[in-house]
Amino acid sequence: MFEKPEQTDIAIIGAGPAGVAAAVTAAHAGAQVTLLDESPRAGGQYYKQPALDAKDKQFPPTVAENIRKGRELLSDLQHSNINFQHSTLVWNVLPEERILNLYGPQGAQNLQAKRIIIAAGAYERVTPFTGWTKPGVTTVGGAQLLLKSQGLKIGQRLLLAGTGPLLQLAAVQFMEAGMEVAAILELQSRKEFLLKAPKLWGHWDKLGQGMANQKRLLEAGIPFKFGYTVAEATGDEEVNGAVIMKVNGKGIPVLGSEETIEVDTICLNYGFAPAVELARVAGCTMVFDKYFGSFAIETNENLETSVNAFFVAGETRGIGGVEVALLEGKLAGAIAGSQLGFTPKVDESNLRKEQQQARKAVAALGTMFPLKSGLCKLVKDEVPVCRCEEVTAGEVRRAIEMGVTQLNQLKPWTRVGMGRCQGRICGGILNQMLADETGVSISEIQPFTSRAPIKPVPMESVGGGDDSGEFTWEDHVGYGAART
Amino acid sequence: MTATRYKKIERGKPISIMVNGEAIEAFHGESIAAAMLASGRRAFRHTVKGKQARGFFCGMGMCFDCIATVDGVPHVRTCMTEVSPDCVVELE
Repeated sequence: MFEKPEQTDIAIIGAGPAGVAAAVTAAHAGAQVTLLDESPRAGGQYYKQPALDAKDKQFPPTVAENIRKGRELLSDLQHSNINFQHSTLVWNVLPEERILNLYGPQGAQNLQAKRIIIAAGAYERVTPFTGWTKPGVTTVGGAQLLLKSQGLKIGQRLLLAGTGPLLQLAAVQFMEAGMEVAAILELQSRKEFLLKAPKLWGHWDKLGQGMANQKRLLEAGIPFKFGYTVAEATGDEEVNGAVIMKVNGKGIPVLGSEETIEVDTICLNYGFAPAVELARVAGCTMVFDKYFGSFAIETNENLETSVNAFFVAGETRGIGGVEVALLEGKLAGAIAGSQLGFTPKVDESNLRKEQQQARKAVAALGTMFPLKSGLCKLVKDEVPVCRCEEVTAGEVRRAIEMGVTQLNQLKPWTRVGMGRCQGRICGGILNQMLADETGVSISEIQPFTSRAPIKPVPMESVGGGDDSGEFTWEDHVGYGAART
Repeated sequence: MTATRYKKIERGKPISIMVNGEAIEAFHGESIAAAMLASGRRAFRHTVKGKQARGFFCGMGMCFDCIATVDGVPHVRTCMTEVSPDCVVELE
């Protein structure tokens, strides 16, 4: 079924800030590194580079600055010890043999490594409402990627909704590109924000960035509404407006506070959740990150997971942002390298100190912008919560009434999480719904079990399928049933 | 028209791709999703069960909302797939 695997010292999954930093550090120490990423280019989402043959100064200034910084980091990948395999999905892992099953431009491949570092990044959290599946509703990050990678303005008049500092940064970038930002809706109330703001005392760079963005939005006259959320995307087939509502401290919408607002695009970001599925297939133990309200992969202070020879770095260890990712990438690359007898050219104890400080600063930020399960009250019974299988909130609520308390019980009952995205979008939402309906804490609700292939791959890559060369539904595994 | 190309970026000569039998303009390096959005199309497909329109959502290859049949291969994520000259996209 599988050919003899290729060999490498260290395999790194994810070419975002953490993965690149790990690869560069390990390569400079002398290790042979294979860096793998599903995208055609390195950089991850944060340092996504333009797909066009364009000069960065042609981009809006804030985006251009981000592209330049990313390019500087990525230039270090030009090292003879680094083999970067782009457009390559790692869809399975055999932990004892330390073999990765890959699918890329050359088809199916296997790679065996002495150490494996998973730096898979994070996903954006969203929350459902009436009309949220309509074309014109996107994630904030998705709209940002269109701008920096494609030079495309997603809409003419935008509404940004969610919680956290990305909303303001993205609004500045959209504004610079000439898009009109109709309003920004921040889930937290002004009072909550001001009460928690002192936690950032001392973390001047984070405070400074936030205040600079806020000042620019204020000067541009863009309404910033604390304690608001989007309740409905209106329009026949596509978005032509939004209904927004006030929420109380628990996230429960305040009836009678509805306002309509004319926009063509609604961008959502309710923070991030770590991409843990590959590490979980490897068997790595998870831990609940109380600062960001999501499950992450547990490690010791060497960033080693519960599975021998497997490390995680950056967002996969818990939401941390770019500085944490860079520091943990370096640390994981250095430790994995020295375990194999190489000599990393970094000061490990200093690095560890910086990493711990950076984690602390980000934890403060995380507690300021919690997701609130009261938002589930907004979701009418007919609204699909699982986008892939089109399972409605009503179906999920009925299952909960019948006694379902865990995501893995909801799955066979309702088909949630059985579609193409494999629960990446609905998992976090269902977690909130279960917490809201049953009163159980989010940390007590186990995420969906992760299984290989972690994303749909053609049947040929797992050694099956027919030989006709024609693709059919049955030729893909990992899709669940072909219902949608 | 909702999505538009940022005008300050030089993109070289346009190429043409086919979407449901109609030629649309695209540029080297662009994703199929970006080219379709720039052509004024936001509904990329309709779901089998609910017949609901879907389009660009996550932009990073995780939601599978933007899939289409590309050069005969079904369910290709258009946000992750670059245009190629003469590529043929059929909406699902």
